[in-house]
Amino acid sequence: MSKAFQKLVLGCGLLSLAHAAYSAAQHRTYLRITEQEFTTLPLDIILQAVISLAIIIYSILSLKSDWKLIHATDLQEKSSWETLSNIQSFYTFNHRGKAIFNPHYLQPAPVSMDSLH
Amino acid sequence: MADNYEEMSCSEAKELLRKWRDDNERRSDEVVQIFDYCLADKVKKLGSERLIVLEQVFVAALDCGRIKLAEDCVRVLISEFPESLRIMKLKAMLLEALERYDDALDVLESIINKDETNAAARKRKIAILKAKGQISDAIRELCDYLRKFMSDQEAWHELCNLYMMEGDYSKAAFCMEEVLLHNPFSHLIHQRMGDIRYTMGGQDNIEIAKSYYAQAVKLNANNLRALYGLYLCCGHIVNSKAPVNKRKEAQKLSTWALKKISEITNDKLPRSTKSSKNSNQSNDIAALEAAFGNLDAKLN
Repeated sequence: MSKAFQKLVLGCGLLSLAHAAYSAAQHRTYLRITEQEFTTLPLDIILQAVISLAIIIYSILSLKSDWKLIHATDLQEKSSWETLSNIQSFYTFNHRGKAIFNPHYLQPAPVSMDSLH
Repeated sequence: MADNYEEMSCSEAKELLRKWRDDNERRSDEVVQIFDYCLADKVKKLGSERLIVLEQVFVAALDCGRIKLAEDCVRVLISEFPESLRIMKLKAMLLEALERYDDALDVLESIINKDETNAAARKRKIAILKAKGQISDAIRELCDYLRKFMSDQEAWHELCNLYMMEGDYSKAAFCMEEVLLHNPFSHLIHQRMGDIRYTMGGQDNIEIAKSYYAQAVKLNANNLRALYGLYLCCGHIVNSKAPVNKRKEAQKLSTWALKKISEITNDKLPRSTKSSKNSNQSNDIAALEAAFGNLDAKLN
């Protein structure tokens, strides 16, 4: 649909909504003149208001349609496999860390070949 | 960043430690250094975070083999909560780091006796088996554990790792699928699934790996590893005996993946060196391509 046509539809919708509001006001005045009790608006005015509102919403949405997508992964984009695969509850401690980071680490005595025989 | 821990203020250090806790980073060496330089004399100033920081430093100290520091931390924590099971678990971890595995197991047993539902202690028992190198026992225990705590993602992930240590890729893939069910939108897990399937090899698995990599790229277009995996999978399919239309499609996909890869790698270069390195970059990519082309040929 062309932009101009959509703007036309939007205009019609706005006019129709305004007309529905005007009709409602007219209806109230008519009731006051004929001295009747107000209960509810006639169905045609309600329908007109609802339908024109729907038209307005739809045409505004399609006129302004350069929306941004919400990416499900935006939050994860920064996380890396390193942090995801770091499983804290299964840490083990018998690794090279104690040799690299501990300044007072004593190397265990090498196993002599004789003891293996 | 790495060198100026000494100049860091207390609140900055606190902030950084909190960030690492939230992001689930290991960084044990840095944590211990920060504690040594900035926080050791000001533990009281940490306020409400004092105890959790001490726990973090405790684990990091064990990781670095700084038993003395770990003992200091756990002593403070014990004086605060003498009866806590969580602190008892820390004690067991200390025994573990000292390689007194049987004593550690006794402590963990007593925790489980007091509280049947204590998952952390059960997981530590499995970690001890892993530390002792008894991988198949650890797998058995972990399967047992997962029968009781089926929704534990970490445990499924760990089981996957253990199966991979044993080279049992189909079971590892099953475990990773379980993790994937918990995070269907995680590109990293899709990428991992692709890695496992690609490692398994064979026409069908390569096809499956290709779709996992493709999904990972769809979820995060900047996932370089997944793009590269996609490229390799397509390369395999092109050189295989697949139907012609499939091979053509794979060919198209592989050129697309390669284009994306070079776009990302060019973007990541700093502006000033971009022009001078651009030619180098394309040379590198061409060389890589040639190398992998040779690999493919050899595999067939």
